Amino acid sequence: MASVGLRAIRKDFGRTQVIKGIDLDIADQEFVVFVGPSGCGKSTLLRLIAGLEDATSGDILIDGRVVNNVPPKDRNIAMVFQNYALYPHMTVARNMGFGLRAARLPAAEIDQRVTAAARMLGLENLLHRRPGELSGGQRQRVAMGRAIVRDPQVFLFDEPLSNLDAQLRNQVRTEIKKLHQDVRRTAIYVTHDQVEAMTLADRIVLLRDGRVEQVGTPTDLFERPANRFVAGFIGSPAMNFLSATLENGEIVLPWMRLPAGIAGSGAVEIGIRPEDLLAGDAAPEPYRFEALVRVVEPMGSEALLVIAVGGHEFQVRLMGRIHPIAGTRMLFAINPAELHVFDAATGQSMPVVQAR
Amino acid sequence: MSGLTIARRQAVWAWIFLALPLAYFSLVRFWPALDAFSLSLSKWNLVGPRRYVGLANYERMAADPVFWQVLANTFEYLLLGLPVSLALSFLVAYHLDRVQTGHGLLRALYFLPHLTTATALAWVWRWFYQPAPVGLFNNWLSVFGIAQQPFLRSTFQALPAILVPAIWAALGFQIVIFLAGLKAIPRSYYEAAEIDGAGSPQILREITLPLLLPSFVFLLITTSIGLLRIFDLVYNMTAGGDGGPLNATKPLVLSIYQSAFARMDMGYASAQTVVLFVILLLLSLLQMRLLRARP
Repeated sequence: MASVGLRAIRKDFGRTQVIKGIDLDIADQEFVVFVGPSGCGKSTLLRLIAGLEDATSGDILIDGRVVNNVPPKDRNIAMVFQNYALYPHMTVARNMGFGLRAARLPAAEIDQRVTAAARMLGLENLLHRRPGELSGGQRQRVAMGRAIVRDPQVFLFDEPLSNLDAQLRNQVRTEIKKLHQDVRRTAIYVTHDQVEAMTLADRIVLLRDGRVEQVGTPTDLFERPANRFVAGFIGSPAMNFLSATLENGEIVLPWMRLPAGIAGSGAVEIGIRPEDLLAGDAAPEPYRFEALVRVVEPMGSEALLVIAVGGHEFQVRLMGRIHPIAGTRMLFAINPAELHVFDAATGQSMPVVQAR
Repeated sequence: MSGLTIARRQAVWAWIFLALPLAYFSLVRFWPALDAFSLSLSKWNLVGPRRYVGLANYERMAADPVFWQVLANTFEYLLLGLPVSLALSFLVAYHLDRVQTGHGLLRALYFLPHLTTATALAWVWRWFYQPAPVGLFNNWLSVFGIAQQPFLRSTFQALPAILVPAIWAALGFQIVIFLAGLKAIPRSYYEAAEIDGAGSPQILREITLPLLLPSFVFLLITTSIGLLRIFDLVYNMTAGGDGGPLNATKPLVLSIYQSAFARMDMGYASAQTVVLFVILLLLSLLQMRLLRARP
């Protein structure tokens, strides 16, 4: 049983403020992903929780206990490093048993726990190999094995998949999710990849520039982004953005008007996801417009299009196996129910007050 | 050359460029070195004719008590100097690696003697070892009321007294090698160990030392060779440069030098050179095997 709490955490490196005041509560057994662009402070935050760095101010709680001055080994955590941090001169078994030897457990128990973890990860036949003789995916599993044998309350993952090729990454991602469902421990996972964040997380913490932009389930962040930054970061291909004007509850685009469901007038920025631009017969009648198809990227069961209208270009994700031809004109429509409206000045999402 | 393939043309140019250094090394290095073997079977005073004498030089060497003392001295330099020198430089490097403030300055200070001429260094230390009121060390001893020490004048203390500046002068280079080895160990290894709760002894034993093994083996070889060839410190720190008192500090290289250039006995000098060569060869082979046996 271990929750993790952050209370007004700040971290400065010299004069550089890296973490600028973060409050967060992570429930027991929850899988939380810290995601954000590079330099947002996500790895630093993880290292603060691990105890590898000291916070400049604020409290870190593990299982309700303030651990600011507790050394890493007594925090009941285990960490999987980006480069795996496997010792090249030790066998897999010795690598996995390192922490248990440090804890001076009897040899028989070390052996039994290492074997059990190896079985769980399918590493039984590799126990006598050295890391240099393993593939990237196997090394990754050994790194997880070393974390598992210690039976910690909290697992910390620092970009554990970034050294794997794309195909292996998907596979190991699934394994990590399975592992979490099996061992049922709190997990905090750092990545810069929003797909990893979406697929793994119970809750995502999206960071930018040392601050939390939004905390929520993957669906929350995808469907109800708090601001333009979150909207642009989550989702692939990224959301289309466009400056527009709000006039008495209507969005005015150069080529059409859309109901906004928002009262008032002023400069706004609208966002529309590539999959919410509907094409051809699927486009609902009142919001149709004609656009030039500039680029077609077939992906098999879907295609990515770049279309041009009114001096703007949009990315469109078109489901189905029949694709249009580049250079032709086609009918599209914006589904107003899926429209995101942001305040042009602050970038904050503007709440929809009536159905549109 | 236009009829040649690109690869052949490149090879021809490579050999053209290699020809000059090759000729130089053959003439100035390899041929004299090889000639030492035949010279060791001759009698020659550098100007007169060379006369073949068979194994006479080696027989003389085996019967010469001074040669055996010189050989023992040489190994004393090695066996005393090697462990002390490596342990000391590792200790300094290990702690220097953890120091943030003044790291560069300290490293430079340790490296400084490496840049100093051995002769200058030797004469300064020779002065340190003088009796009071000239010698620094004996002055200190007198301040604390401790008995004066003969240092370079004692058959027992002289060799270690020469070894001290030798170790000190080599320290800078060894520290730099160890520091590079320590820097090459990823920080995450230590962080993972810290999270796993390993203490300093376990980290040192299971992570730092094994991963530093290549640096150790490299320094083992270079330091051994350096100590077995010790010459300039002994030559400059002993009276008349003759490895005294009573040959107590004379190493093999100094003995070779005296045979060749004081007594003009090239044959005997060459025979001793061959012995030194065999020792260095065996040691290098042994250490190369150690390096390869590394997991």
